[in-house]
Amino acid sequence: MESLDRIKGRFPSMLKDVPSTNDNEAVVELADKTQLRKIVAEAKKYFDLLFMLMVVDRPPKTFEMNYVLSSYSKKDLLTIRVNIDRDEAEIDSIAGIFTSAEWEEREAYDLFGIDFRHHPDQRRILLPEDWPGHPLRKDFEVTEEVKNWTGLDMKF
Amino acid sequence: MEATGSTNRITINIGPVHPSTHGVLKFVVDIEGDTMVKVEPEIGFVHRGVEKMAEGRNYNSYTPVIDKLDYIAALNWEVLYASVVEKALGVSLPPRAVYIRTLMCEMQRIMSHLLFVGHVGEDLGNTTLFMWGFRERELLMDLMESVSGGRLAPMYVSMGGVYYDLPKDFESRLLPVLHTIEHRVLNEYKALSYENDLFIARTKGVGVISREFAYKYGLTGPNIRGSGIARDLRKDEPYLAYDKLDFDVVTEKGGDAYARFMIRINEILESIKMMRQLVKDMPAGEVKTKVPWFFKIPPKYTFVRQETPRGEAAMYMVTNDDTKPYRLKIRSPSFYVMQALRELMVGHKVADLVAILGSLDPVPGEIDR
Repeated sequence: MESLDRIKGRFPSMLKDVPSTNDNEAVVELADKTQLRKIVAEAKKYFDLLFMLMVVDRPPKTFEMNYVLSSYSKKDLLTIRVNIDRDEAEIDSIAGIFTSAEWEEREAYDLFGIDFRHHPDQRRILLPEDWPGHPLRKDFEVTEEVKNWTGLDMKF
Repeated sequence: MEATGSTNRITINIGPVHPSTHGVLKFVVDIEGDTMVKVEPEIGFVHRGVEKMAEGRNYNSYTPVIDKLDYIAALNWEVLYASVVEKALGVSLPPRAVYIRTLMCEMQRIMSHLLFVGHVGEDLGNTTLFMWGFRERELLMDLMESVSGGRLAPMYVSMGGVYYDLPKDFESRLLPVLHTIEHRVLNEYKALSYENDLFIARTKGVGVISREFAYKYGLTGPNIRGSGIARDLRKDEPYLAYDKLDFDVVTEKGGDAYARFMIRINEILESIKMMRQLVKDMPAGEVKTKVPWFFKIPPKYTFVRQETPRGEAAMYMVTNDDTKPYRLKIRSPSFYVMQALRELMVGHKVADLVAILGSLDPVPGEIDR
């Protein structure tokens, strides 16, 4: 993919190729999560649509962040994969670059408990504010508290 | 209702239970006079943990859950989910199954768009249009029932094809229905909607989406085709039998609620055109490749995106050598639409809220997952 080569040219030896099983998709792994904003900003020149943000929980150590970028004019997909530490789950927000990432990041915060630094409005989106825990984590347990949750304590 | 800050600024809640929110959605709206100055959409009222459920069920048992995701266009999502699993498994479909799936997808698209037409009518106080939308949809509902046994949640698409073949008299029943719908959309709807002065006054110039705005919020589907962006996955990345069909990507220039309404009207006509071709060219043979009920998929990442009536939907599935997905991420197009509303609504009158929301055709079940 020509655009990917250009992005790699700007940031030599930072992105590692990962074989992809999908057509038109290139997957790169970014080792240094502090560089994410720079890489995404550069990638936005060629991929103008943030298609989705998929978080995969890989216990015991990592959360795998998959930023799937697409384009309105081309078929190409670029997935930027970043592994972050599960215990200190935090990463820079890219909502400043892609406005559409704002709610996707809120969702990741809500369901996985990932802290997005410099996010404009980080709060729960799908679940109520007083919901116990982050349900898409693999170690989420359906405790008595979850079972008996009624939402009656909520402030409207 | 409460007064905040300056004397004439009032915060009102619209929803979560409100006839014009198309389900359970809530808007916290700040108004000055009759103008909206700040809009905060709130979602999550029908969150059922669909992605979490995927991690606890085997691949086949998950299809009924997908049915309830977007309950207006359940079949399109069934096809999308089956496509992901089949791609991961490496199963190919018999030609007849491909055609039947395409046919049913387009039928579901017409049903969804007819409901949209009815709902926009109801939102704008035009109850007759609401009844008419349901009347035409009912004709297709009956056909859907005769094919799959279900109406709203068909549960028709199986791994490797579809569960049942089409009934013998399907073609002879379908073609008159298509003719009826085409005739009514072209002639009857005209007077009540797109050539009606009141309707035009409520929708023209309301909620204009520019190209930049669409890019900013990642909007897709009919909503951006109303802004002149000719992007349609059925044409750009053909799946199923779409590469064998002769159809046009409908676009409009206005970008307003009226343009988005016209997109749906014209897409109904395009879909009818496609269905006629599909019925004519329908190949004979098997409708299903044999796939065992329980199966395992080796560790891999599988991505599929398709065009649903609401825009580009996608699934990204991570498998882990198990009988159920390790992680299934669902991209719902309406989720992105909801995010854009906080900017799109500002500056309009409160009465336009329902017109804008209606013209974007969101479904809460799909937004909240």
